[in-house]
Amino acid sequence: MTDPMPDAEPRPAPVAAAGFRLSSVLPDLCLLAAIPLLVYSVHRVFMSTPIEQSMGTAFKIFFFHVPMGWLCMLMALIAGIAAAVQLRLRSSGAAAVALAAAEIGFVTGLGVLLTGPIWGNATWGRPWTGDARQVSTALLWLVIVAYLLLRHYGPRSSDRLAAALAIFGAVNVPIIYYAVKLWKTLHPSTGVVGSLPPEMWATFWPGLGGLLLVSLGLLGLRIRQLRLADELDAAWVQLEDPR
Amino acid sequence: MNETTPPPSKPGDDYAPVVGISQEDTATLRMLEGKAADKTARDYEHIVWAYGVLWALFAAYGLFLWRRSARLRADMNDLQRALDRTADRR
Amino acid sequence: MRLLRQALLLLRSELRQELRDFELLLTAGFFTVVLLAMFYLSFASLQAKAHLSALPGLMWLTVAFVGVLTLTRVFDREREADTLRALLAAPIERLAIYLAKAAMALLVLMICCAVLVPGLWLMFPAGQAFADQPGQTALLALLGCAGYVAIGTLFAAGLATGAGKNTLLFIILYPLTTPVLMYALVTTRALLDRDPALPDHLTQMFLLDLILFAAACLLFETVLVGAPARAPGRRPRHPRRPDASVRQDMSREPSR
Repeated sequence: MTDPMPDAEPRPAPVAAAGFRLSSVLPDLCLLAAIPLLVYSVHRVFMSTPIEQSMGTAFKIFFFHVPMGWLCMLMALIAGIAAAVQLRLRSSGAAAVALAAAEIGFVTGLGVLLTGPIWGNATWGRPWTGDARQVSTALLWLVIVAYLLLRHYGPRSSDRLAAALAIFGAVNVPIIYYAVKLWKTLHPSTGVVGSLPPEMWATFWPGLGGLLLVSLGLLGLRIRQLRLADELDAAWVQLEDPR
Repeated sequence: MNETTPPPSKPGDDYAPVVGISQEDTATLRMLEGKAADKTARDYEHIVWAYGVLWALFAAYGLFLWRRSARLRADMNDLQRALDRTADRR
Repeated sequence: MRLLRQALLLLRSELRQELRDFELLLTAGFFTVVLLAMFYLSFASLQAKAHLSALPGLMWLTVAFVGVLTLTRVFDREREADTLRALLAAPIERLAIYLAKAAMALLVLMICCAVLVPGLWLMFPAGQAFADQPGQTALLALLGCAGYVAIGTLFAAGLATGAGKNTLLFIILYPLTTPVLMYALVTTRALLDRDPALPDHLTQMFLLDLILFAAACLLFETVLVGAPARAPGRRPRHPRRPDASVRQDMSREPSR
C-alpha cells in the first residue's frame, strides 16, 4: 500500500488476496449464528414470558427496543474510536470501520426512535414524553446523521473532519445525557423501567445477543464492501494514471 | 333479587341459600374483561408494529448492502474489461 | 508563550482587517437585530408567564444562528484567497491560527450578545433578571459563546480548506453543540429564576468549555494539516498515500 511507484499493470488488490481470510467469513458466521438466537428470543418473548404487571402486553417491545438503544450507543462508540485511530494512523481501514459503524448506528438509532414512541403510546398514552433518555438518543442520532452527511457530501478533504465529528459525537454522549437530565429537573419527569424479575432478563439476553450478532455481521459486511470499493478506486486510478 | 327462596323451616337442616352474582356485578365483570381484551389487542397491535418496523429497517439496510455489492461487482467487471483492453493493445 | 504571542499577532491582524470595513460586526450585528425583530413579531403575544421558559431558548437560538454566520465569514476571508493553506504552511504554530480565529469569533459573538441581551430585556419583562445580575449575565454569555466557538472554529476551519460546501457547517454544528447550548439553557433558566445554584451551573459550564477547547486543540492540527489538494473528477480515498505537499508537511512535524 505504501509503495508509491506501482508497476504499469495494476496489481490485484492485496487486501482481498491475502491475510483477510478469517474476517471474510466472520460476518457471515455472525449472521448465521444470529438466526437461531433470534428465533429463540422471539419465541421466548411471545410464548413464555409473563406479562408485566404495570405496563401490560406492550412491555414486550422492551425486549427489542432496549438492545437497539444499547447497540446504537455501541456503534457510536465504535465509530468514535475508529475515527481516532483513523486520524492517528491515517488508516483507510479505520475510516471504513467508522463509516460502517455509523451506518449501523443510524439504523439501530432509527429503530429505537421509532419503537420508543410506539411503546410510550401504549403505556404512557403519549408517544413522546421528553424523557432524558429519549432526548439524548435523538440528539446522538442527529450527530450520526450529520456524520453520514459529511462523509457522503463533504469535500474530498473532509474525511478527517468527519473523523473529528465522530470523536466529538462519542464524547458528547454522556454530556448530552447529563445536560438533558439537568434540563428536565426543571420539569417533572416520568419514571421509566424499574427493576426486572429474573425471567424477564432471561428473555432479554438472547434477544440482545441475536441483535448484536446481526449488527456485527452487517458491520463486517459493510467494512468489507467499503474496503473493496477503496481498492477498486485505487486500481482505477492506477489504470488511468500509471505514474 | 336472587334471595327469593324461603328460609329453611327446620333449624337442624344443613341448608345454605345459594347466593348468585348480581346482574350489576356480572355486567361490570364483562365490561372489565372486554376492556382488558381490548387493551391486549391494542397492545399486540403496537407490538406487531414495533417489531415490524425493526425488521423492516434491517431489511432495508440489507437491501442497501446488496445493491451496493451489485454496483461494486459491475465496477469490478468494468475494471477487468479495461485491463483486458490495455493488455490487448500492448 | 510563543504560541500566545503568535495568536495575539494573528488576532491583531484580524482586528486590523475588521476595523477597515467592519464587515463581520455589521453583518452579525444586523442579523442579531433582525432575529430580535422576528422573535418580537412571533412571540410578543405570549403570556407573561411563558416568557420565562421562552427567553433562554430565544437567547441561545440567536447565538447559534449568529455564530454559524460569524464562523463562516471569519473563514470565508481565508477561503476566497486560499490564504488558509498559506497560513498553515507558514512557520507558525498551527494552534495559534485556531486560537486567533476562535478569539475573533468570540469577540464578535460577545458584541452581538451586548445587543441581544438588552434587546430581550426590553421586549420581554421577564428579562429583568438580566439587568439585575449584569455580572452573571455577562459571564454566562461568555461561557456559552466560548463553548460554541470552541467546537465551531474547528469545523469551520476544516470546511474552509475545501472548495465550496461550507453550508455543511449548519448541518454539523447544531447537533454537535447541543451539549453546550443545553447547558447554557439550563444556566440561563437558573439565572432568570434567581436560583442560588447558579454559581454551580456556571462552574460546570466553565469545565465543559475547558473540555471542548482541549479536545478541539488536540484535533485541530490533525484535522487540518496537509489538507490534500482536490483531485478533479472521482474522489479516491487514499489517506495512506498523501500527495507531495502533505508529505512535506508531515516530515516537518516531530514524529509522534
